[in-house]
Amino acid sequence: MSWTLIALLLLPLVGSLVVAFLKGNDRTAKLVALGFSLVELALAVVAWVAYDPSSGARLQLTSSVDWIPTFGVHLSFGVDGIALVMIALIAFLMPVVIGGAWSDKLPEGRSASGFFSLLLAMQTGMVGVFAATDVFLFYVFFEAVLVPMYFLIGRFGGPNRQYAAMKFFLYSLLGGLIMLASVIGLYVTSADKLGQGTLDWATLVTVMKDAPTSTQIWLFLGFFIAFAIKAPLVPLHTWLPDAGAEAPVGAGVLLVGVLDKIGTFGFLRYCLPLFPAASKQLAPLVLVLAVVGIIYGSLLAVGQTDMKRFVAYTSIAHFGFIALGIFAFSSQAGAGSVLYMVNHGISTGMLFLVVGMVMSRGGSRLIQDYGGMAKLTPVLGGLFFVAGLSSLALPGTNSFVSEFLVLIGSYPNQPVFTIISTVGMVLAALYVLWVYQRVFQGPVRGTALLNVAAGPGTATDPERSGIKDLNRREIAVLAPLVALVLVLGFYPKPVLDVISPSIGATLSEVGVTDPVAQEGK
Amino acid sequence: MTFLAQVELIKPPEIEYSAIAPVLIVLGAACVSVLFEAFLPKHQRWAAQVVLTMLTFIGAGTALGLYAGAETTTAQGITTLSGAVAVDRPVIFLWVTLLLLGFGSILLIADRSVEPGGAFVADAAVRPGTVQDRAQATRTGMQTEVFPLTLFALAGMMVFVAANDLLTMFIALEVLSLPLYLMCGLARRRRLLSQEAAVKYFLLGAFASAFFLYGLALLYGYAGSVKLADIATATAGSDKSDTLLFAGFGLLVVGLLFKASVGPFHAWTPDVYQGAPTPITAFMAACTKVAAFGGILRVLTVAFERTNWEWRGVLWGVAVASMVIGAVLGLTQTDVKRMVAYSSVAHAGFLLIGSISLTEQGLSGTLFYLLAYGFTTIAVFGVISLVRNADGEATHLSQWAGLAKRSPVLAGVFTFLLLALAGIPLTSGFVGKFVVFAAAIQDGLAPLVVVALVASAVAAFFYLRVIVLMYFSEPAPDGPTVTVPGAFTTIAITVGAAVTLVLGVWPSFALDWAGAGGFIF
Amino acid sequence: MLQPYLPLVFMFLLAGAFALFSVTAAPYIGPRRYNRAKLDAYECGIEPSPAPIVGGGRMPVAYYLTAMLFILFDIEMVFLYPFAVSADKLGLFGLVEIALFVATVGFAYAYVWRRGGLDWN
Repeated sequence: MSWTLIALLLLPLVGSLVVAFLKGNDRTAKLVALGFSLVELALAVVAWVAYDPSSGARLQLTSSVDWIPTFGVHLSFGVDGIALVMIALIAFLMPVVIGGAWSDKLPEGRSASGFFSLLLAMQTGMVGVFAATDVFLFYVFFEAVLVPMYFLIGRFGGPNRQYAAMKFFLYSLLGGLIMLASVIGLYVTSADKLGQGTLDWATLVTVMKDAPTSTQIWLFLGFFIAFAIKAPLVPLHTWLPDAGAEAPVGAGVLLVGVLDKIGTFGFLRYCLPLFPAASKQLAPLVLVLAVVGIIYGSLLAVGQTDMKRFVAYTSIAHFGFIALGIFAFSSQAGAGSVLYMVNHGISTGMLFLVVGMVMSRGGSRLIQDYGGMAKLTPVLGGLFFVAGLSSLALPGTNSFVSEFLVLIGSYPNQPVFTIISTVGMVLAALYVLWVYQRVFQGPVRGTALLNVAAGPGTATDPERSGIKDLNRREIAVLAPLVALVLVLGFYPKPVLDVISPSIGATLSEVGVTDPVAQEGK
Repeated sequence: MTFLAQVELIKPPEIEYSAIAPVLIVLGAACVSVLFEAFLPKHQRWAAQVVLTMLTFIGAGTALGLYAGAETTTAQGITTLSGAVAVDRPVIFLWVTLLLLGFGSILLIADRSVEPGGAFVADAAVRPGTVQDRAQATRTGMQTEVFPLTLFALAGMMVFVAANDLLTMFIALEVLSLPLYLMCGLARRRRLLSQEAAVKYFLLGAFASAFFLYGLALLYGYAGSVKLADIATATAGSDKSDTLLFAGFGLLVVGLLFKASVGPFHAWTPDVYQGAPTPITAFMAACTKVAAFGGILRVLTVAFERTNWEWRGVLWGVAVASMVIGAVLGLTQTDVKRMVAYSSVAHAGFLLIGSISLTEQGLSGTLFYLLAYGFTTIAVFGVISLVRNADGEATHLSQWAGLAKRSPVLAGVFTFLLLALAGIPLTSGFVGKFVVFAAAIQDGLAPLVVVALVASAVAAFFYLRVIVLMYFSEPAPDGPTVTVPGAFTTIAITVGAAVTLVLGVWPSFALDWAGAGGFIF
Repeated sequence: MLQPYLPLVFMFLLAGAFALFSVTAAPYIGPRRYNRAKLDAYECGIEPSPAPIVGGGRMPVAYYLTAMLFILFDIEMVFLYPFAVSADKLGLFGLVEIALFVATVGFAYAYVWRRGGLDWN
């Protein structure tokens, strides 16, 4: 019985309630929220230290009590390496997000305590999703996390927030309900086999191993559709640009950075081990969707005029790479995918934050409203460039390692798909650099910048333009992200060491032989 | 004169008084309640009726508790009154459910703080729309006849779920229906709408009763008996006319489905739910649903289980129709009460899925669903009765805009209840869906479950729309006010919401209790 | 086999004969005094086709009330007859049951009486 995960789960919930009651006292609410998120980060470090990758145990830090004995449902928690790095990623991003949203202008009549309370509530939900080791419990968190996100978008988002919130919720709910059918299906299958049904993940893995392929395919599809909506894979991605564009920056970071990873995490934790036969049979389908997503997301990112939608579309391309790595069934690609999930959270989170900082200065989301901004805000320009480079996977940044691992690991099994997906790398350089060039390079131009200027002729003068460079808070928020971009770019080993054994275990549950490992022998 | 000798000495049937005591108490109290109406002066009636009704519920609950508690654990139940009434585990569960939900409804009915004088007309004989009618709307009196009527209806429902032969069932059906027709017409405000609802319900209800009676007659012709057990025995032999059986079954079931407001026999539901006084709508939506499905479960399981191959396909289609009608037509509603009415049609479809599963799990799942749905519904209508303007309840959806700003607590409770209706985890609605769908998949109804899940997703849209209105829209300047409820309504809403939460988080107790045993006949 | 039903056949024959006799004999032996009410249907004082202006063609609601109450007690009588015929065979149980039944109808009667249902105006 390990209490670490339970503490990780409950702490933000308590924080959320405390912050909710600090209504009308925004400054205290923010400080308390930040305090809770920092303690949570410390707890995550404790969990990281306590986790032993070399022990060979599939799930660690476990705890379990009966919940609904009638259905064999337990309140059981535990992590493998994959879940652990995701929980660490949330814990790391949360203080950053809170710092980033510190002085956000909220829509009229909304209080900051509500905003930060919802952020912390979401953290509980996300930790729960990654830490649950009972399928029923996972489903509960999977749905429960929608509610705070729905309110974050709908109450604090951009002008079109109602539509975006509704679309986000309905897409996810539809996916969730389809998954519910599969969850029930798992229960029924286990009841047929064991007499008494269960929803314990580890038991189900052994039960489903020799379930008929047709059953597996049906149940796989239920989970897959839910995760494909979450992760977003083309053609189920259309909610993300809307939700990403309308969400407030802080919520957007969590949405794209962590919440969407539930989908790819779900592939690894549920689709592959529970339905090995179906996974192998349907892998080509998933790979097609992944590669289409890479190309399609990249092309649309190139064409975007709205910076937040641009970030959302780059994510769709990146999720294609992650899905490719997962369904290529090799240890390198798998580990690369999980690392990609972390790196994408860092680089896209950072990209979202810097876009938010640009917007808070110019008041517009449109690329055409800006130009030559680097002259006014050199530090912001530089950090935008770093975020962009990380996003396009330049060697030396974190994303390069993961993208390289995915491609090199996928090649032996899936050469065709891998080769096609490299086009995405080229397009990535195009869309990132082009946006950077339009917003930051050249002479100062664009209505957003000129409107803020105090008078004619002042716009190009950094001192008098009315556009200020990053303040200390903003630099403090971005600094840890930059640090991680570089550290993980040069020395990803600590993270990979945690991930790799779990990927190996997942692949052995699927029952595939690892082409890379074979060559090594 | 030999024919006189044919008259045997009539033996009175054996009566297990302790078993049927709850029904006798409710019926006896209803009679006393009528005498109160006859002999008490006007100003004393309300207080006397409330005290009597509360005592009735305590008395009936105690009697039921004593009987259920005194049972040995091996006894699954008994039949009494020459086998006309069965008191088995499902009946005890349904009786407890009916008494609890009836008590909740009575709290709403008795409330006089929300609307001065209560939700019921002060003088029913006044013609609607006249000067006298406007005068009665402001008077503080009410037609306290609603109390005996409620008790009679409740007693009818209790007999209905326990009836083990079709004739008793029919009598109970009338005893529960006739008071309801009257009660629908007793609204204090918008009396034409209310009276229209009463007439509509009465006419369509009379049709449904006729269908039931015709079916009963045909089944008697088929089996030579009205006892469910005898019909079951008759279906085992193959030499009888199937035409009689299936025509009888069809007509009988139409009558039952009408009462349960299952689509496509739902046409009365939206009009009646909208027109009836809100406390009565709560009573109908919660208790009538429980009674009707209690009857459906018993008839299908006891009398027609053997022939399920023949009729299951038909009810399959009916369930699909109900879910689709409820979910799709609910989308177009602009009145809160009509919206909840269509939601109840969709829920009736889900309940029907559980009812046609014909397994232990199907039975216990449906029973649990009824309990959960009933409490949520009572709380929903309790909340609806609080949002008012000068003309009474403000039920038009546009009037609910920005309600969260005026009354955050009320909006929060209503959001929670709507999420429960939508079936989001950690609410009783989710557990209810889970158990019913699990039973259905176990019994080979997987396609039906998929339809149900899609319908749930569609229905979620209109629940969400209300949440969007309450939270994300600005309140209208001349919008309704939220009345501060008195003790009765507060208790009803609090208990309803609390049970919704408790059954969502800790359903084991109720699940075990619902699955304690099957029907005795 | 059908012998027990023989009295019933007689009963039917007798009833038919009586009806036939009444209808045939009435014109011959009945007195004839013509007046306006005589020409109305039912001869009970109600205007069958309502006056077009007065009262908007409504029937006094008290008629329905009376009719309903009549049916109620009519049915009570219908139940009391078979009980009376076999009271000795039903014993104490039957007596208690019928007393309860009469009491139930009595409650309704008390309600109607106290609430003025029996007052014509």
